[in-house]
Amino acid sequence: MEKQGMKDWIVPGAIVVSLYLKWCLGLGSHSGKNSPPLFGDYEAQRHWMEITNHLPVKQWYTYDLQYWGLDYPPLTAYHSWLCGLIGSWLNPSWFSLDDSRGLETSSSQVYMRSTALASDTLIYLPAVLMFVKTWHVSRSRRTQNLALLTLLFQPALLLIDFGHFQFNSVMLSFTLLSLNFLASGNDILGAVFFVLSLGFKQMALYYAPAVGSYLVAKCIHLGPAEGSRLFLRLALTTVMAFVLLFAPFLPPFSPLSTVLHPITRIFPFDRGLFEDKVSNFWCASNVVLKWKNIASPGLLVKISTVFTALGFAPGVTLLLRTGFQQRAASGKPEHKASPRTSPMLPLLVYVLLTSSLSFFLFSFQVHEKSILLPLLPMTLLMSSSAPTSSTFLWGALMNNMAMFSMWPLLKRDGLGVQYLVMLALWNRLLGYNPFAQPKRKLIHLLSAAANTSAIVIHAMELLFSPPARYPDLYPVLNVLVTTPVFGFCLLWSIKSTVQIAWALQGPGTTLKREGAGLEPKAATSDKQLDKITVRPPLPESFRSQEEEKDRTS
Amino acid sequence: MSSGLSHPPPTRLSPILDSDKTAQPSKPASSFWYLQPSEWDVLLLSTSLKLLLFPAYRSTDFEVHRNWLAITYSLPISQWYYEATSEWTLDYPPFFAYFEKFLSYFAPLVDARIVDLQNLKYDSWTVVAFQRSTVIITELVLGAALLRFIRGAVDPPTQRIMSLSLFLHPGLLIVDHIHFQYNGFLFGILLWSILMAREGNKLASGILFAVLLNFKHIFMYLAPAYFVYLLRSYCFSPLGHFQIKSFLSLANSIIAVFVLSFGPFIVMGQIPQVLSRLFPFTRGLNHAYWAPNFWALYSALDRSLLLYTKTTGIGLAVKEAGVASSSRGLIGDTVFAVLPNVQPIHTFLLTVSVQMVFLLKLWLTPTYKSFLTTLILCGYASFLFGWHVHEKAVLLVLVPLSLLAAERQAYFRTFMLASIAGIYSLFPLIFTPAESIVKVVYSTIWLVFVYRALAHRVYEYPRSLAYVVIDTLEKIYVAGFIPLHIVVTALSFMHSGPTVTPVACVPSHDFTCPEPEPSAQTSPGANWQFLPLLLTSVYCALGCVWAFFRLSFVYLKGDMYQGHLNTLQ
Repeated sequence: MEKQGMKDWIVPGAIVVSLYLKWCLGLGSHSGKNSPPLFGDYEAQRHWMEITNHLPVKQWYTYDLQYWGLDYPPLTAYHSWLCGLIGSWLNPSWFSLDDSRGLETSSSQVYMRSTALASDTLIYLPAVLMFVKTWHVSRSRRTQNLALLTLLFQPALLLIDFGHFQFNSVMLSFTLLSLNFLASGNDILGAVFFVLSLGFKQMALYYAPAVGSYLVAKCIHLGPAEGSRLFLRLALTTVMAFVLLFAPFLPPFSPLSTVLHPITRIFPFDRGLFEDKVSNFWCASNVVLKWKNIASPGLLVKISTVFTALGFAPGVTLLLRTGFQQRAASGKPEHKASPRTSPMLPLLVYVLLTSSLSFFLFSFQVHEKSILLPLLPMTLLMSSSAPTSSTFLWGALMNNMAMFSMWPLLKRDGLGVQYLVMLALWNRLLGYNPFAQPKRKLIHLLSAAANTSAIVIHAMELLFSPPARYPDLYPVLNVLVTTPVFGFCLLWSIKSTVQIAWALQGPGTTLKREGAGLEPKAATSDKQLDKITVRPPLPESFRSQEEEKDRTS
Repeated sequence: MSSGLSHPPPTRLSPILDSDKTAQPSKPASSFWYLQPSEWDVLLLSTSLKLLLFPAYRSTDFEVHRNWLAITYSLPISQWYYEATSEWTLDYPPFFAYFEKFLSYFAPLVDARIVDLQNLKYDSWTVVAFQRSTVIITELVLGAALLRFIRGAVDPPTQRIMSLSLFLHPGLLIVDHIHFQYNGFLFGILLWSILMAREGNKLASGILFAVLLNFKHIFMYLAPAYFVYLLRSYCFSPLGHFQIKSFLSLANSIIAVFVLSFGPFIVMGQIPQVLSRLFPFTRGLNHAYWAPNFWALYSALDRSLLLYTKTTGIGLAVKEAGVASSSRGLIGDTVFAVLPNVQPIHTFLLTVSVQMVFLLKLWLTPTYKSFLTTLILCGYASFLFGWHVHEKAVLLVLVPLSLLAAERQAYFRTFMLASIAGIYSLFPLIFTPAESIVKVVYSTIWLVFVYRALAHRVYEYPRSLAYVVIDTLEKIYVAGFIPLHIVVTALSFMHSGPTVTPVACVPSHDFTCPEPEPSAQTSPGANWQFLPLLLTSVYCALGCVWAFFRLSFVYLKGDMYQGHLNTLQ
């Protein structure tokens, strides 16, 4: 094959193949298929398309709440409305009010699947392409393609969105777009897209400490005059964006009290500490400590909030501290900070990981599917790293363990074959084999142990049914394996943040750039700085190493 | 075998980014079981794609094969060809029945209900997973043959592409992994047989073909080419002396294969019953959905003439029976309104006389390449002119034709045209909306890949004006599939409205196609119901017939064309 000719086709080819795969995943079962009276998440999404098309806005968050009442923010509602509008135009019976509940005709399923695919293609795909072009702009084309493939075929996201059926990729891609704009120095647009992400699913709050503290750090970094101006503009646009999002629920369109409906629906504190079996701290420790008996729900909410805050505190602190220190450094006139650049950028993705993981592990009312949120920054980090680097290994481990942690859910959905296929394909695509690594570092041992346990648990589940006394044996074992892995991931992300922050600050200002090169992400954005500010290029030795890594991998 | 187990360390993105792998020298034949990393990639990818089709639509052929599992598992061999609890009686030759018997030993390990004879239309997850897995696993016979083709090829990188394209062929994906059949396995045997011919082991080639015939008798379409080739090149010396020893060993081997297959039934005296199952003579000229062959064009011409006569009142003799037969294209005796009626003997004579031309040439030049081309042309002639041909039979042409694709541009273009028309003609087998997208997208990806990979290897400058004109017309024809598909989709969308049940205008099983309910025919728009099928059939028939004449011309004119296969004797 002619190399050059084929290389031009990698990106379009990968996109088309990913679309095909997503569609094929949709041939399988979805959540709650053939299980009346309540069905599952698929029916929830379909039901929202139905009610938003037939009811006035005022009733969206109040109509028959027992049957999948809308409990996501307004942007999801608008999206449902649009999907329902087009669908009703094609065939009104798919979304007729009340009559269409539990509708699973083949044509309506095809339509639902195509809404998921279309949303994903219209938002997630451009966001990923833009990510590769902004964050890896100075990397080789091969690395960029690799990053694209890693993100396009991320198995956990594909299985939940196109198998189980949800629209997580829309929320994630708004966050991703926000990151892209922050990286290119367009903070206002970054903030707006983050509001959109929050407005699609409140789960984006997991990222809020990171994005918020990054923006504050940037304001600090820019100094009092420039910084406060940016702060005001950010505050204003954020508020404006929220007001616009909620506009139909606000005067003059509705009485002011209407806005309380979505808000009370979005934050349900009347539910339990966790649902089903989820691989977080509370569920895992619940095996020994029965939290329900130990503390009241109100107290548990408080404890979980404190734990979560403790989890993301280091990352947030480091971001703010870096901003502060860099302000001091740029205090001199010759180092005047430009609003286009930001020394905190290398930290941002790590802090996103820290923050979302601490939410996943410690916060109140977490679903197993929420692991997709910490998976996004982790996959972004691994997407450009060499296959022998620890970042890559952590990313691969976390992705595989996230899949494993959702196995009970996927099994219930009837997606066992799809689970195996996607795991095998993605790992093969990346050339990742947890058992072929040299056992030198913690990550190697952890990968081998975690993957072995996962395989053993799968094998046991296949061969033996659980004892009558412990019907939940396998899900609990699953939680006990995956939770520590996610805990280690949290620690790793904190450690990496500290390293980079330290490197950025450095013993002296002259050394700081080289230090940042310890991590590929930092190096990348560092090179972006190269392009924008007039600085001497990186030392030759470092640059050639970096390129060599690209070539040999 | 041991070296096959030692898995080479995988490389990141090896299939896509390290395309230079294809340029690696192929391993010697001794390490045949050694798979290169890129070959593991292909195996994993193709298996993954097929596994994802587990939940896809499946035709009644699925139940047919389940029923055969049940028959061969629960009944003694003496009753196999008499059993009629289900309407899907056993109608493949004995080797296929033995094959089902073999598979049925594993079925109860998964779920005992699979082989329950009374458990008709069983469609639980277990039976789907079991049967679909058997298709994927038995298809490895094809994979192994294709690997072997690469190992000893004249031009391994090109053969690698052709092997890849065959292993991932959309026709097999549609017919085997969605619709449900075991063609991958059967074509695997055919390719092993062709491979033996390429390697000069003609006895093995003949035996394998005899085995194949006893799996599925439709491969008889190819038999004349085998007969002439083996007779000329194995039983006669190059100088034309009859080699009695060779002849006897070949004849005895083939007789032995048939005895192995039909022996038990000969002993039990059931041969007439078996044959009546294999060859039911109750079928019409055309299948329910017209296969894209000569008779599709003939029928379409008849319909057009009838319409023309009706509208203009020109006094052509119209047979009333033909008017009633109408364009619905249903099974039964196809009676023409204007054109002369066609009897089985006509189609037989036409097919044989066309084949004779190629066989004569094969007798004169009994090389491997000549054999391969004649094989394709014989299958092609049977497909185009035969009585009651199924659209799925187009695979008999497309699969061996792929082996010729990279020979030179004339073959490549024929291959592309026949593949596009042939694969499109398989589309009506899959009519459910979700799977329709799968078939279209997958086939398009495949076509683009094959075209991109092979086109530049065989490119030639146009030499004459006629060439340019033909080239343009062919491009227009290929581009026409896009509007065709839009029209067909729109028409079926209009008719699959909420009231009309989708008259599964689909030939449900090889040899049986039940009449649709009479009510469905009389419902409004019933006359137009078959329009999408008719359009598909006629448009694909144009391409198929043209590709046939193209290939015939290239073959008969052929000596000046020198491709790399000419180096093989």
